[in-house]
Amino acid sequence: MSHAQEMIEHISKNVIRKADVQIDENTPLVSSGLIDSFALVDILMQLEDVTSLRIPAGKVQPKDMDTVALMLETAARVGKPRK
Amino acid sequence: MSIFNSDSSVTVGYRTITEALAAAPGQKTFATMWRGDDDSETVTFGEFKLQASAFAQELLREGVATGERVIVIMEQGIPLMAAFAGTMMIGAVPAILAYPNFKVDPAKYRNGLAGVSANLRARLVLVDGDFPEDLLDCISADGATVKRFGELPESGSWFSFDHAADPDDLAFIQHSAGTTGLQKGVALSHGAVLRQLDHLAERLRLRDDDRIYSWLPLYHDMGLIACFMLPLVYHLPVMMQSPTDWVMQPRTMPELITADRSTIAWVPNFALQLLARRVRPEDRADFDLSSMRALINCSEPVRAQSHDEFLSAYADSGFKREALLSSYAMAENVFAVTQSPVGFTPKRIWVNGAMLRNGHIAQVVSPSVPNALCFVSSGTCIAENRVEVTGDDGEPVDEGQVGELAVTGDSVFTGYYNRPDLTARALRGGWYWTGDLGFVLDGEVYVIGRKKDLIIVGGKNIYPQDVEEIVYAHPSIHDGRAVALGHYNEELGTEDILIIAEVESEADLANATEIERNIKAAVISELGVAARAIYLKPPRWVVKSTAGKPSRSDTREKFFAEHPEVIGVSA
Repeated sequence: MSHAQEMIEHISKNVIRKADVQIDENTPLVSSGLIDSFALVDILMQLEDVTSLRIPAGKVQPKDMDTVALMLETAARVGKPRK
Repeated sequence: MSIFNSDSSVTVGYRTITEALAAAPGQKTFATMWRGDDDSETVTFGEFKLQASAFAQELLREGVATGERVIVIMEQGIPLMAAFAGTMMIGAVPAILAYPNFKVDPAKYRNGLAGVSANLRARLVLVDGDFPEDLLDCISADGATVKRFGELPESGSWFSFDHAADPDDLAFIQHSAGTTGLQKGVALSHGAVLRQLDHLAERLRLRDDDRIYSWLPLYHDMGLIACFMLPLVYHLPVMMQSPTDWVMQPRTMPELITADRSTIAWVPNFALQLLARRVRPEDRADFDLSSMRALINCSEPVRAQSHDEFLSAYADSGFKREALLSSYAMAENVFAVTQSPVGFTPKRIWVNGAMLRNGHIAQVVSPSVPNALCFVSSGTCIAENRVEVTGDDGEPVDEGQVGELAVTGDSVFTGYYNRPDLTARALRGGWYWTGDLGFVLDGEVYVIGRKKDLIIVGGKNIYPQDVEEIVYAHPSIHDGRAVALGHYNEELGTEDILIIAEVESEADLANATEIERNIKAAVISELGVAARAIYLKPPRWVVKSTAGKPSRSDTREKFFAEHPEVIGVSA
């Protein structure tokens, strides 16, 4: 499974939790109100697990997490190998 | 060394906040703004005074006069603090508003800003270089001018202000609940702020080696008073980060406390749960929180479960149980009304649940009694402050009886700026009617929740009316037939927004997913918080009051009767 698919599955199953709401890599999540800022904490931790990267504090803003595609771009841009 | 002795009459001795700033030792560290391991900025009091002076001189060049209002909208950081202090230095009156986030609807933000600007009759709006230009179109029409600081003004020399501020002069305006346009500006004098800080410092047994940590926004009383005014007046260092950086990565708070050896911090209740549940156990092993002597749970009802989860999660990080404190605070009293004492865990009691619900009396029972409810005290009143529990007739009720909390003291506000209508409702005979429900036992104040329908999400106050207005705007929703409710979410330790709305016709229910999606998008863009769930109902479902308006309490009751699963999840 690709990183994007893993993230989509996690967000659909554990965050949105509504069978009739389908998301893809480019679905706006934060700006659409589908998820709130509290959920971003979980998503960011999942992103670190999926990519095996550590996202340094202060380097990611909600707008960088608005879609799954943006999340993965952000992780690739600022992520560091985990200890 | 303690700044305070046991004599409660001891005061810091300044007449104004700016006098306290002027007296600060130039070499001592004041504020650090942390944005990441390779991006932090620290200023001494001397450097901060120069930055504030530069803003003060710039404002004078703009022709801002004593007493005129200046709105400051800048990203959380030292320039924002310097602009605020610089405004006070020339005797003008600053008010910080929230910085727009990327979710904001430009039209709504413009309207809100225009509303606040008009109400304050602001002379100037100070924004930073990154502030979106399209959000400023509205301002000039109201007589205010916009001043953009792409870079900090030149820091010359310490500005020797010659206006003779009086302790009774207005120092600044704090904004209370509501969407931007409906926000209530709480007008506070220098004297009221300094008296509040004196009493708070005394209760906290403030020391000159204390170090404050904060992620709290400066437009909120916890951030502005406890984490900016307190260290400014008592010449203490404060380590800050932005609320967004913290909420995205909660581990940064214990990381910074560990690194800075911070001793005092304030947080809303939900933060304790977020720290317990959203920081990996393996990360916690690296933290040393033994320096903390006061982590104060403030701004939402204090919940035992949140305390227990936090204490359990950080037991191996050196955090002392007796360092987790509680407080009851509000902008209308500058800040704290109560504060539990340092060095003691806040008192807990268990009360008979049925008697509380049905008889509105807190009867203390053993924790083992079935349906006993646990309450954590918010502490006793700080010096010169009083709380009275009042019945529906506005008269005091007996000890242990539940009622609306009314507060008074030597720092209670004198009114909402330019809003005599709102002031008359909330402030009567020197008492502020808080709209909070609670009870008092043995002098300890227990806050249960809101009498008004206010929803508190992550420490942010949301009026249900604001949410409902947004819902009504949807073409498939019957105008005037929606109710927004706050519902405690145990997982998050704060309230969720639930929306119950009638569709225009049954056929609309087939498009429920689309309607819900549109409403959620509108709520987040206008209020900046997400609605957790929307329940669309057929016509004539919402319960109306005799006045023909939706009854929140009756609709709530009907809703939970029909949706017991919601209670089961997070009652």
